[in-house]
Amino acid sequence: MHRLFWKIFVSFWAALVLFAGATILTASHYLERARAEQGAASPRERLVRHAAEAQHIADQYGAAGLREWLRELDRREPIPFLLIDRAGTDLLGRTVSPAMLARLARDAERPRHMHGGPRLRAEIRLPDGSEYLLIPDFQGVTLGRVLDRPRVIALPLIVAAVVSGIVCFLLASYLTAPLGRLRRATEAYAAGDLSTRVAPTLGTRKDEVAELARSFDHMAQRLQELMTGQRQLLSDVSHELRSPLARLQVALGLARQRAEGRAGAELDRIEREVERLNDLIGQLLSLARLESGVTEPAQEVVDLAELLSRVAADADFEARARNRHVEVVKTMPATVHGDARLLQSALENIVRNAAHYTAEGTSVTLTLEADPQQLRIMVQDHGPGVPEEMLTRLFEPFVRVGDARDRASGGYGLGLAIAQKAIRLHGGDVSALNARGGGLLVSVRLPVEPRIAG
Amino acid sequence: MNRILLADDDVELTEMLSQYLAAEGFSVDAAHDGETALAKARHDVFDLVVLDVMMPRMNGFDVLRELRTHSLLPVLMLTARDEDVDSIVGLELGADDYLPKPCNPRVLVARIRAILRRAAGSHAGDTSSDPPQTLAFDDLEMQTGTRSVSCGGQPVALTSTEYAVLEVLLREAGHVVSKADLSERALGRKLTRYDRSLDMHVSSLRKKLGSLAGGEERIKTVRGVGYQYTRA
Repeated sequence: MHRLFWKIFVSFWAALVLFAGATILTASHYLERARAEQGAASPRERLVRHAAEAQHIADQYGAAGLREWLRELDRREPIPFLLIDRAGTDLLGRTVSPAMLARLARDAERPRHMHGGPRLRAEIRLPDGSEYLLIPDFQGVTLGRVLDRPRVIALPLIVAAVVSGIVCFLLASYLTAPLGRLRRATEAYAAGDLSTRVAPTLGTRKDEVAELARSFDHMAQRLQELMTGQRQLLSDVSHELRSPLARLQVALGLARQRAEGRAGAELDRIEREVERLNDLIGQLLSLARLESGVTEPAQEVVDLAELLSRVAADADFEARARNRHVEVVKTMPATVHGDARLLQSALENIVRNAAHYTAEGTSVTLTLEADPQQLRIMVQDHGPGVPEEMLTRLFEPFVRVGDARDRASGGYGLGLAIAQKAIRLHGGDVSALNARGGGLLVSVRLPVEPRIAG
Repeated sequence: MNRILLADDDVELTEMLSQYLAAEGFSVDAAHDGETALAKARHDVFDLVVLDVMMPRMNGFDVLRELRTHSLLPVLMLTARDEDVDSIVGLELGADDYLPKPCNPRVLVARIRAILRRAAGSHAGDTSSDPPQTLAFDDLEMQTGTRSVSCGGQPVALTSTEYAVLEVLLREAGHVVSKADLSERALGRKLTRYDRSLDMHVSSLRKKLGSLAGGEERIKTVRGVGYQYTRA
């Protein structure tokens, strides 16, 4: 059922009918009043009255008085009354149509009352002897002339404006109020409140808007189930993959106790691989979480400078063992709104990656800069760099660059992907390019006021 | 010999872990669900409980919450690795420490020993050989001999970890103690990344001790540095 369609159709129709009705009513009311004021029902009677008045004025005040009287008459009469002399010119200089002149000429040749009906004209004689004809010019009744008389048009216009205004206002608010509710619900949903529903707030409404609200609720319900399912799946995967790992670790510990120092290298190797597997599962799960958006990132004030120096210190500690360094060469006070843990893991992944590939004896340099729009963190290593065509693919999961990024690197090709997801979640971005002096330069850009994207 | 209660629903894991801990010199008992764990912790004498969060019938948090209503028995929580919240909740409820699972059994043993040392009041590098002392500031009084704390004349029940944290802060009262320092002296281990243990222990200390007469916090957070016990 197109209930809303009918609501719109009927309201507009009603508004237009009311408009037309009000116009006709007021116009006819005006005309009746005008007629009453004139004291005569027909143009003929008015002509007779005007003619008597004109003759009286002409007798008393002459041509000048007549001219003034005619101007005054023109203001209140909807029909223009022309006062034409023998030469065919109007006393007030108004245009006399050729058709009327022709008719006058024709009439002058024929005897009076030849057609039976009296003609609509009256003769006025001035004291100086000159003669004029007073003629109503029906062709001169233009819309403009009618509109010039305010009561004819202003009143119906006001009535129509008020009536249609009320109808349209009610209609508009009736239509937009639930849409506003829908919009607010959508925003709340996007902001993470998955329990938002609209239909219960619309009462007993049963039109297209209510149907839209129900569709929205259905979608919301579906999405909520999907998100819950996804969350549950991630949690189950995590648990099911890790339970055997936990047992493996304990079994390994027992093996060590019983081996009493034998097979140490092999057991170390197993332990390392177990740790790696554990890390890989952790990284996969965090990437899956970031991509599916099932975990709500925290919103806190993060001291970026402090975070960067902490990350640098940790990475430096690890790198020193391999005769490599990590140092912050340029920093400044900077805070952002966001999830400290996500930002830290993003920076850590980038810095560790750099520390891994930088050549022995060199340093990874970190800089933190800001301009009014954004904060930039640059991480530069002094390693082999990356082939140009691989630069953009560097942030895809499991992408490795040639032999250099092999298993021995200890990475799984997930660190940079996680970093990119986390940075993008904060409204920023990350990119990589080969520095001029060699080595890879990864730059992280964060908006000064990052808002976590919904 | 220290008696340990191992509460985890993974039967195979607890069997192996019991063997491992036995070889390390502990006497181990196991429980595979929350209710059994709570009953055993109540009726037997254990020196420490290793408590897994994910357990049928009654999860680790509920067991800990119940346990803490009447006991300060040291508890080490095993939490899911991806759920930071778990560790925070566990510490808030009064766990002495937490370890993400899966964990290396060697690390587990080290943590257990650190907690047991704290509980015995004789952790390494501390002043345990000193004669018993009374540390008193304003209305707060700590007897190191009996390991008891009172505030405004009322005894305050602290877990051994909370006690250890407070003791370090009181010994350095008026000075800022860095988190790294506090972690090594009070928890007996290095501060690790994302480790919220200290923050949680300090926050529960604040709750238990209340604020100073002027409404000021007893333990101040010095952002980016550490904590400081303030005197009025």
